[in-house]
Amino acid sequence: MSAALGLRVWGLSRVGYNTDEAVYAGQAAAIASDPTLKEIFPVFRAHPLLFQFMLALVFHFGVSDLAGRLVAVLIGLATVFVVYLLGKLLYGEKAGMLAALILALMPYHVVVTRQVLLDGPLVFCSTLTLYMLARFALTERPAWLYSAGVGMGLTFLAKETGIILMGAIYAFLALSREIRIRILDIALATILTFLMIVPFPASLLLAGGTRSGKQYLVWQLFRRPNHTWDFYPTTVPVAIGFLVIAAALLGLWFLRRQGTWRERLLVCWILVPVAFFQLWPTKGFQYLLPAAPAFAVLAGRALAHWPPTQVIPPLNRYLSIASFNKLVTGIVAISLLIPSWRAIQPSTTGSYVAGTGGVPGGREAGEWVRENIPQGAKLITIGPSMANILQFYGHRKAYGLSVSPNPLRRNPSYEPVFNPDLQIRTGDLHYIVWDSFSAERSAFFSEGLLKIAEKYNGRVVHVESVMVKLEDGTTVAKPVIVIYEVRP
Amino acid sequence: MTRLRRLGCVLGVLVVGSWPTGGGAHAQAPNQTSEPNTPIKHFIVLMQENHSFDNYFGTYPGADGIPPGTCMPVDPFDAKNTTCMEPFHIGDYPIEDLDHSESTSNLQYNNGRMDGFIYALNQRNQDGVSAMGYYDDHELGYYWNIADEYVLFDRFFSSASGGSAINHMYWVAGAPGSESGRVPPGGYGDVPTIFDRLEERGISWKFYIENYDPAITFRTVVPGEDFGNRASQIVWVPLLNYDRYLDDPNLFSKIVNLNEYFEDLENGTLPAVSYMVPSGASEHPPGSIRAGERFVKTLIQALMRSDAWSSSVFMWTYDDWGGWYDHVPPPQVDKYGYGFRVPALMVSPYARRGYIDSTELDFTSPLKFIEENWDIEPLAERDARANSIASGLDFSQPPREPFFISFSREPDKLPAEPRRGVIYIAYGAAIVFAVLMIAIVSITDKNGSDQRTTDPKLRKEDAIS
Repeated sequence: MSAALGLRVWGLSRVGYNTDEAVYAGQAAAIASDPTLKEIFPVFRAHPLLFQFMLALVFHFGVSDLAGRLVAVLIGLATVFVVYLLGKLLYGEKAGMLAALILALMPYHVVVTRQVLLDGPLVFCSTLTLYMLARFALTERPAWLYSAGVGMGLTFLAKETGIILMGAIYAFLALSREIRIRILDIALATILTFLMIVPFPASLLLAGGTRSGKQYLVWQLFRRPNHTWDFYPTTVPVAIGFLVIAAALLGLWFLRRQGTWRERLLVCWILVPVAFFQLWPTKGFQYLLPAAPAFAVLAGRALAHWPPTQVIPPLNRYLSIASFNKLVTGIVAISLLIPSWRAIQPSTTGSYVAGTGGVPGGREAGEWVRENIPQGAKLITIGPSMANILQFYGHRKAYGLSVSPNPLRRNPSYEPVFNPDLQIRTGDLHYIVWDSFSAERSAFFSEGLLKIAEKYNGRVVHVESVMVKLEDGTTVAKPVIVIYEVRP
Repeated sequence: MTRLRRLGCVLGVLVVGSWPTGGGAHAQAPNQTSEPNTPIKHFIVLMQENHSFDNYFGTYPGADGIPPGTCMPVDPFDAKNTTCMEPFHIGDYPIEDLDHSESTSNLQYNNGRMDGFIYALNQRNQDGVSAMGYYDDHELGYYWNIADEYVLFDRFFSSASGGSAINHMYWVAGAPGSESGRVPPGGYGDVPTIFDRLEERGISWKFYIENYDPAITFRTVVPGEDFGNRASQIVWVPLLNYDRYLDDPNLFSKIVNLNEYFEDLENGTLPAVSYMVPSGASEHPPGSIRAGERFVKTLIQALMRSDAWSSSVFMWTYDDWGGWYDHVPPPQVDKYGYGFRVPALMVSPYARRGYIDSTELDFTSPLKFIEENWDIEPLAERDARANSIASGLDFSQPPREPFFISFSREPDKLPAEPRRGVIYIAYGAAIVFAVLMIAIVSITDKNGSDQRTTDPKLRKEDAIS
């Protein structure tokens, strides 16, 4: 747990929020009635509000990015503990310890649970659900199935995409004939799930957010893919750890004769979200995180029973089993620790993948905006990502140039600028903010924004730089965020 | 003293004597400095065009606006004709340039009875009823918002009952400039201006002109020819009617295009005193008043974005009443005026918040402020007697942070205020229910655990694991 804690709090506040963190924290601040942010961030956007609600309880004592991240860290640590319980329940104490160690060090989980994202709480709730489902499978007590239903509801409230794990539950139950289950119990558990979900539509309906919910659903269903098909295969295995995946797969193969419903449960928990999100057009780095605990338990199981009987005789000639066991575990742990350590260092390339951490310079730029730009001033950025960050830290309205005026082509949470030229000419837009992270993703809008800056007497009033390493090894300051003042 | 030295002294006196000091300009007092007497280091004043106070702020809450029951007689000189017209909201109704000559002013004033507004225009073959039109916050959202936050002067009179030329002269010189109130054929000669005084004291100044054309001066303009409407530049910029301001490169270099205002703000070189006049955005009927509002907004926003904001006053007013109705009889302080009230507003970090200042003021009041702030002697009798616009400032308060005022009277569209209690109850109840459920099931699972240790099937599986 100390390793888990250390990796999650080391330099936690060194880099400010990224766009998603800014949005969720902004929502939480709006729920907590922060006088400034409640006028910038709407309470209802896309997702249910379980995590934002929890953050709001903290933000009642003051909005702080560090406090928000500490809540995320606590939830991450709680997930590590639940994974320990799960591993212990399924494969014994040692497997539980190893599974917890793997998750504690896993870059995927470390990176996400250092951020104010919904996926950390989602994984906690889904892992809790998995644990209760395992207890049901083990004891066949319907109460545990009902609890799993409640856990599933919580998972949805953390993030609605968690609902796809119901597919994993049904698949597992359908494939596990040895587990006696009554249809009535499944129905009751499902009802409990939907009862738990009620706060989402109820608050939308009663608290005035129906419109935003419907619009978001429509947009999600028809939006264009944001990544190519190979996004997950190229990013997630690295984040989970190749050795972890290898250990899980080798364990499944070498220990196949000892296989029970347990592996089926974990495999279902992995395959269903992976298959779903691979097909779903919208892809996000953290979307597959619910599968990480299952990988950790399968890998923990493999390491706990390593080496398998097939490789013991030749191995005995060189090394004791215990030493070999410790060596393999150590290698796996180090293979996770090193990338995790690297992942929690600030970016030194000036580029950024959404969901992988804070945006260097974003908080500082936002704070500069808050200190130096008149209240009521409005900004335009390349895209909504930087706009969100500047709004959270800068307390000023910011728009994204790339936000489409076509309602079918934009996130309904975002407000488009229909004619930036006109708005600058009429004194309704005052600053242009260019950033290298958005520019890298959208050269077209970056160029468009700079053209506007040039056209309207753009004058650089602030620059945020990060130290980047060049190919020859030298380190230089690279401007990542540039703020221009514009006027007609 | 040698002959050579004596000759040097004589030449020195001649040189000093021939320096353009602005006619009646006074010598600098030995102990005077260019440091201001208040935190205001930059004073900026803009002159817009042709609206009366009641035309813009006649329905502004709390101001001395159009009295209830107002009904303007169509013909005050015909006792039998009792027809009268009430003030009406102009909205987007197209308007014309109402006559605003001195004779019209006198007819409308009607010896203080203030009942000739319609009649006078009818005499000019115009629709006199137009004079009773007024705008409100639908058209003047920005100005009304400014008034809500800063200072609105509701007893600010045009200095003379005539039109632009004489009032602009009062604005810069505290005097009519000529007996007729018009630009004399040879220019204003030695009539001193505030800029002469500032120049003597080494206090920086500039006269900013929107779309400035240096070729348009009193020497080049032939009425009705060459420059068309652009000829108004010499009316709105009295300095272009002075030989010395045109011939002295130093003085001429301080009459500049408005672009330099923005550059000066950006470069931190905004002078101590800035006068400015518009061109297309003057609000002069039938021009767009919204264009004027946007123009003023741009100027104020640029100031607010600059380092100069914390030590600045920005005010603007209107050179004459434009033929529009105003209900307050202007005090007659001399043969030239006052003329009717005009709108005037002031923005500053030291401005009182939402303050309606009823001090009696005119175009020489900004001069008074400059003179008091920088220890400058008055230019003429009017500015010597004038009240200062400083009554709208409060230096006991810390400077206010810049704040961009909305253009619209309606607040920005904010997200609907949600019922947060519903969120707290719904999500709080969900968490409590889940925790209780799991806790109860865990506690009551003792039997399940017992079963797990005794169930042969489970024991077998555990053994396998």
